[in-house]
Amino acid sequence: MALNSFAELLQAASTTGLPLDAIFLAEESGERELSTDRIFQTFLERWAVMKDSVRRGLAGGKSFSGLVGGDAKKVMDFTREGDIAGGRLVAKCIAYSIAVLEENSRMGIIVAAPTAGAAGMVPGTLLALAEERGFDDAFTTRGLVVAGGFGALVAAKAELSGAAGGCQAEQGVGAAMAAGALAFLLGGTPAMSVHAAALTLQNTLGLACDPVAGLVEVPCVVRNGFTAMLAVTGAQTALAGVESVIPMDEVVEAMVKIGEAMPRSLKETADGGLAMTPTGCRIRNDLYQIR
Amino acid sequence: MVGPSSSHTAGACRLSRVARALLEEDPVEARFELHSAFAKTMRGHGTDRALVAGALGMEVDDARLKDALDIAKAQGFLYALKPKNMGPEAHPNSVAIHLKGRTRSISILGASIGGGMIEIREVDGFPVSLSAKDPCLLLFYEDRPGMVMRASEIIGRRGVNIASMEVLRRGKGEQAFMRIDLDAPLPPDDVAALKQMPGVHRVHVLDRVAGGAPIT
Repeated sequence: MALNSFAELLQAASTTGLPLDAIFLAEESGERELSTDRIFQTFLERWAVMKDSVRRGLAGGKSFSGLVGGDAKKVMDFTREGDIAGGRLVAKCIAYSIAVLEENSRMGIIVAAPTAGAAGMVPGTLLALAEERGFDDAFTTRGLVVAGGFGALVAAKAELSGAAGGCQAEQGVGAAMAAGALAFLLGGTPAMSVHAAALTLQNTLGLACDPVAGLVEVPCVVRNGFTAMLAVTGAQTALAGVESVIPMDEVVEAMVKIGEAMPRSLKETADGGLAMTPTGCRIRNDLYQIR
Repeated sequence: MVGPSSSHTAGACRLSRVARALLEEDPVEARFELHSAFAKTMRGHGTDRALVAGALGMEVDDARLKDALDIAKAQGFLYALKPKNMGPEAHPNSVAIHLKGRTRSISILGASIGGGMIEIREVDGFPVSLSAKDPCLLLFYEDRPGMVMRASEIIGRRGVNIASMEVLRRGKGEQAFMRIDLDAPLPPDDVAALKQMPGVHRVHVLDRVAGGAPIT
C-alpha cells in the first residue's frame, strides 16, 4: 500500500471525501493492477469463508488436543434477553468469535484476521452485527475491507506474530481491526473508525502470548471472545465521540516497543505465563508424554 | 488457510513451498532445523505438518495439510525435524530447510514473520532477502562484466518491469547471485534466454509462491 500511516489515511479521507473502504480499494487496485471490482470480489469470497468458519465452529467438535471445543455453542445456548450481555448482538459477538477459533484449533479452514490465533474478532463481530441489523453481504464486506486496510497499515509498521510482539500484536490488532470496521458499518466518520481502533489497541498493550502446551487453544480460543468485547467497546465509545488521546500511529509504535521489551518467555515459546503454571505444565506433559 | 497459526502453520508451509519451487523437482527427502519459538511450539501449532505439507507441494488452504505426516509416510517421503539454536540474533520463527530430489538438492534459511508472511534469508548459503510474494527470479552465475545489463535487457524486451534487485558475489570472478523482483511474471522464452546466457549457472523462477492461496 502506498498509504503509510493512519494519519495519511485520514488526510486522504478528508481531501477526497471518500469513505474508508473506497480509499483502501483504490490503493490496492493501484498496487496490484487489478480493478476495484475484482478486489472487492476477493473480499466477498473471504467473507463467505469467514461466515462458514463461524458455522462450522458452532457445530462443535473437540480440538487438536481435546482441551477446547464446544464453548461457542454453550454461550449461544445460554443467551436470553435480559442477561448480562444485554441480548443477542453482544452474545453473538462473543460466541461467533470463539467459534472461529474452535474451528481453527481443529485445523479447519479459517481466514487469518490478521493471524490465525486472532481470526475470531473480525468475522465474529461483523457477522453478529450483520445478522442483528439485517446488513447484506455486500454492505458487511465493505466493513471487512476497512478491517483489512487497518490491518495492512499496522502490518506496515509492526510484525504481527506472537513470537515477535506477543498477543497484543495478534489479538490486539485483530480487535482494533474489528473496532474500526464496526464503527464504519454503524455510520461513524473516518476519524471515529481510527479512534475506535486506537482505543481498542491501547487497551491490549502488553498482552502476553503464553499458550499452554504450545497449542493455539488456551487461552487463545476464549480470549477471542473477550477481545471481541474490547472491539465492541472501542466502536461504542468512539461513536459516542470519545477520542484516543494518543493517535493510532503512536499506539502502534508503542505496541512495537512493548513487544521488543517483552521477554522471549512471553512471546509464543510456551516458556512462561499460563503455559508454565502447574496445570499448564501438567497438560503439556500429559499431551507429549513427557516424564 | 488451515489453522491453527498463521505464522507457525501457514508461514511454515510457505517457507517449504519456496524450497520446493527452488528445487524444481519432487523432493524425496527433507530435513528441517527449527529455531526458538518455531521449535518450542512445533507440534501444538502444526508446524511439523505444515513444513512437510509445503515440501509435498500443498497450499496453505489444502485440507490435507493436517494429515501431511501420514501422507508423507505413505508416499515414502523421508523427513526429519530437529531443534537448532541459531543464536540470539536469529528471528524466533526461523527454520533451515534442506530438500533433496533425485538429481539435486537445495538449502534455504527463512523466517515466518507474522500473518503468514515469510522472508527467505539465505539460499544455498547466499544471504538474500526474499518475500516470494511477487514474481521473482534468482540467477546464479559467474561474476563477469555486463551480466546485469544483459539480464535486464532480456527481462525488459517485452515490457516486464524490474521492481527491485539485489546483486551479490562470493568474490571477484567467483560465483555471483542476482535477485530480481518483477511486476509481472517473465514469459518462458525469456526465462530460457536467461538460462542460455554465457556464464549463467542456474535460474530459478518464483512466481508468487507465497502469495497464491489466501491467508487473509
